[in-house]
Amino acid sequence: MTAPRDASARRAARMLRWYPAAWRGRYGDEFAELLIAEFDEQPRSWRRAVDVVRGGLLARLTCAGLTGHPLEPAEQIRAGLATAACGLATCLALGIAMWAQLTIGWAWAPPGTSGPTVAMVAMSASVLLLAALALLAALPLAWAVARSALRRDGWCVRRPALLAAAGLVTLAVGSRHFANGWPGTGSHSWAQPGLVPAGVAAFGWAATLSVSAYWAHPAALAAFPVAEITWMAVSPAALIAAVAGVAALVRRIDLPARTLRYEAWLASGAAGTMIIFLAGACWWLLAGASGPGLFHPGAIDAASVAVMMLALWMARRATSQARKSALSSRLL
Amino acid sequence: MAGPKRETSAPDAGSLGGFGRYAGPATLILSSLADGAKHGYALTKDVEAFAGVRLAPGTLYEALSRLEGQGLIEALESQDRRRPYRLTAAGAAALRAHLSDQRRVADVGLRRLAEGWGTP
Repeated sequence: MTAPRDASARRAARMLRWYPAAWRGRYGDEFAELLIAEFDEQPRSWRRAVDVVRGGLLARLTCAGLTGHPLEPAEQIRAGLATAACGLATCLALGIAMWAQLTIGWAWAPPGTSGPTVAMVAMSASVLLLAALALLAALPLAWAVARSALRRDGWCVRRPALLAAAGLVTLAVGSRHFANGWPGTGSHSWAQPGLVPAGVAAFGWAATLSVSAYWAHPAALAAFPVAEITWMAVSPAALIAAVAGVAALVRRIDLPARTLRYEAWLASGAAGTMIIFLAGACWWLLAGASGPGLFHPGAIDAASVAVMMLALWMARRATSQARKSALSSRLL
Repeated sequence: MAGPKRETSAPDAGSLGGFGRYAGPATLILSSLADGAKHGYALTKDVEAFAGVRLAPGTLYEALSRLEGQGLIEALESQDRRRPYRLTAAGAAALRAHLSDQRRVADVGLRRLAEGWGTP
């Protein structure tokens, strides 16, 4: 290989990184050859660079089941469910952080205006329903994972299963540990009966401790105990590991059509429930609040709602494409 | 003047109706492959020669993957990392239908131009 061609090949390989691995596996070689020929003819072109970046991002969206084309139907459903799981998990993590703040606020003193009251009732009902839907979705998946992992060729399932299990166990054990030191009312005599049990609120607060405005105030953050700061860094990593593991399992396990239909239905239900949760959160943001400081929405709550809306849009689109694909292929 | 009215309907899998913004590149690619198999770079050069349009690499491969996914083209064995594509029977039918539709529109436009504006 000549030096200029070698340099062009390296440049083409760099541009190919915009595309997902599956796409590169199918089209990578021929696409690189085309790029090398284009480089020979026109060494620099910002239009070409933009086109490749746009094409790569579009291929990634397609791989995530968000464009509905041109994946094979069963793959489209699995990709859609995995993307929906990621979107809903993002929503839930940010939502639980907000909800835990309000539940703690309620335990200190009930809200003085209708805004937080309505928001809390809607959000709490949504969280309860989401927990039930998550449990219903996890059961058949766990059963399929166990069956696949026990097979001799189950290595491709064992790794994501271990990743998901490690993430979930770390999150559960760490949250339980830090929940014991939550800044709630504990057994203080002046504690008000909250809308949800204090232990649940404490667990939610500890699990989402990393969703905090303190990241923008390093001086204040430095005053925190080291263990707490460590947990603020470890807990999101554990959550990401758990979600990535579950998403990989959904994509790798060959679930029967009936289970795919069931999971797609549950994902639609979860996305609908999350809309109610978001409506409650928006109500709280817009209505303002009186009472203790925890009822006052801050910039981080507005930012969380914006991210949740984006993640929910992604989850709903992925679910909708999965259901559409299943209908067109008579899987549903 | 009342003419035959064509009902619009959801595009079927074997047509170019569902390609949206990729209908243009798809038409150019199918037209290029109509006279034989070509790989990516040869396709780009051929389209540039007959249509005056340079298909950028990302756009070309997005259209190629969609066409392949719908069975309108098929990939052949690769030659030195370059993989040629050829038109399928379904692709030929879809191209013929699409170009006939375009010709009908072009004929009407040209006739009305001639009636209203005269011939150049």
